[in-house]
Amino acid sequence: MTYAYLFKYIIIGDTGVGKSCLLLQFTDKRFQPVHDLTIGVEFGARMVNIDGKQIKLQIWDTAGQESFRSITRSYYRGAAGALLVYDITRRETFNHLTSWLEDARQHSSSNMVIMLIGNKSDLESRRDVKREEGEAFAREHGLIFMETSAKTACNVEEAFINTAKEIYRKIQQGLFDVHNEANGIKIGPQQCISTSVGSIASQRNSGDVESNSGCC
Amino acid sequence: MSDKDDTETPVVTEATSLLEDGNSEPAKNSESVDQSTKPESKPEPIVSTRKRPEPKPSTDLETSEVLSVQASQAAGKETVSRDEPQTGWGYWGRWGKSLLSSASATVATVGQGISNVIEKAETSLGIPSPSEISTEDQCATGETDANENGNSSTMIGPFGVFSTISTAVQSTGKSVISGGLDALEFIGKKTMDVIAEGDPGFKRTKGLMNRNSTLSQVLREAKEKEEQWTSNEVTMDTDKKTHYGLLFDEFQGLSHLEALEMLSRESEIKVKSILSSLSGEELETLKLELEQLKEAFSLAEFCEEEEEEKKGDEDFTKEITELFSQLHVSSKPEKLARARNTAYEWIRTSLAKPSEEKGGGEKQLEGEKTEQLNKNSVEDIHAFAIRSLAELTACSIELFHKTAALVLHGRKQKVTAIERSRTLSQMTVVLCKELSSLSKEFTTCLTTAGVKEKADILNPLITAVFLEASNSASYIQDAFQLLLPVLEISLIENKTELPEA
Repeated sequence: MTYAYLFKYIIIGDTGVGKSCLLLQFTDKRFQPVHDLTIGVEFGARMVNIDGKQIKLQIWDTAGQESFRSITRSYYRGAAGALLVYDITRRETFNHLTSWLEDARQHSSSNMVIMLIGNKSDLESRRDVKREEGEAFAREHGLIFMETSAKTACNVEEAFINTAKEIYRKIQQGLFDVHNEANGIKIGPQQCISTSVGSIASQRNSGDVESNSGCC
Repeated sequence: MSDKDDTETPVVTEATSLLEDGNSEPAKNSESVDQSTKPESKPEPIVSTRKRPEPKPSTDLETSEVLSVQASQAAGKETVSRDEPQTGWGYWGRWGKSLLSSASATVATVGQGISNVIEKAETSLGIPSPSEISTEDQCATGETDANENGNSSTMIGPFGVFSTISTAVQSTGKSVISGGLDALEFIGKKTMDVIAEGDPGFKRTKGLMNRNSTLSQVLREAKEKEEQWTSNEVTMDTDKKTHYGLLFDEFQGLSHLEALEMLSRESEIKVKSILSSLSGEELETLKLELEQLKEAFSLAEFCEEEEEEKKGDEDFTKEITELFSQLHVSSKPEKLARARNTAYEWIRTSLAKPSEEKGGGEKQLEGEKTEQLNKNSVEDIHAFAIRSLAELTACSIELFHKTAALVLHGRKQKVTAIERSRTLSQMTVVLCKELSSLSKEFTTCLTTAGVKEKADILNPLITAVFLEASNSASYIQDAFQLLLPVLEISLIENKTELPEA
């Protein structure tokens, strides 16, 4: 429960690319093929361990439908990380990335770490967007890139955790002002008091990151 | 407990004198909180304290205002203008000036002192006796409206707290919420006085509080602070069990509240910019319509049917579902209803043995449940009560948030913004009543299970349930008020879209 930092994430991207499934896989470790459309935004939270530090990820899973677009923009504010998701089996979801990216950049902090995710990597036979294209897009726009499968859980942990690592790195480099909440980072409750007490409580385990390596 | 009557006045006086000097500085602090930077930039224990818009909850209607009038008036509440037309929702009219809680920015200064005395306060306080409350209440009613000498019906429930307050205080023809929630406030004030008495360092706190936050809020924040301090020693399991803030967060109540707040703020900005772009007659018409909308947000018709006899279980679900359908948004209160029914099921089980006079439906359960009853210690009941309150509140907030999203999303509207506002306002009342009666049930459980317990074990638990119920109601009313700008913009957009279509 105690954590060193809390990071706010948003998950964005076209409807049906698997945003809610990614979240569910990450928080509950399960896959649910049929989903209600997300209204506005849903939430999930999980603790991860970065560099021996407990970090709470508070994830805002936004509605992908175009008609919700103006509403979901309101939620971008104060996010430290964004998962920008497309579906590797549907090219149009890849084509819309630019517009999502614009939205994200416009409505959130310039320091926000963005992870580009090509989801549904389990559907290799129906692939419509090459991995290289995703990589190229990410490179061009300064994003981190990964292909994931919410169904098989492949790379899902990594996607969330690598984003957190990058944010953490930025914090250490002093790029994020952790005291300004507009950056989507909060210092955990024990921080302010336990400088002397030490991290007795903070070392408690919870949702530790198991390194389930390469599956894709 | 009745000896409290004598000591009461001096305590208040003392408290108020403390207030005045502690007043100015914290107020300044709060004003400087920027809208864009959220208040908890200071490392704070639990995020749950932050999302209170104007800290004055609408439970503070005439009745409790009068109850608190000595303290707050003496405090020279510079921020509270009495001239403002008092609607049913009291202070809430001005919530818009800052959605962010200014209180939380100053919480950090609500030091440990208060946490330390809470326990003392609780134990020495006990629960006010029915006679005490009803005296207070009568006095309140009298002050509010001398002509309409309120119909104070004193019914003695478990510990006589909840059911004691007058059924309805009529004032300027508007029904206001009274009853249980006022009782909660009253307990809080009482507690505060005791605290003030015992803690010289309390001065500042009290000053902060009277800036117009509620007691329950201050208490809650202090409590959270305390839990934070102890979190290094207490194991998480026990800690979390009874920690309302953590549980509320766990049920995503905070997130939904925050999201709702974002939608609200954005809508508010839009409304303002639209208003500033209009002029002349157009502006006047719109202003008038917005005024009506605001009315709908302040008129919470609370026709309390004489502390109505226990409603059937289905009623709440039915009522809330029906209200929801009137909103014409595509979301349903199933989750809320489920949470609520689970709570009642648990209570029924817990009470199965002692309440033999209850109807046949429960009989069959009794046999198997008696054993479980014995297992439910007062701590268990308390923990479950807090958990249920947190869950129910979180679900309610979620509903309001979803409603906001859908109202903003929906282009075509079958119902007007005003109609929606009225429905939402009714819904708020239903939810708060539900919380009130739920906490009543829980305290019945507590008193039943705790007959053998000492008062200093039982009373703090009961007080905690009441306080958290009061907090819950405040959260819900906060959330409700956040919907106003959303409906305003909806009204405006609907207006401008109609002629074009």
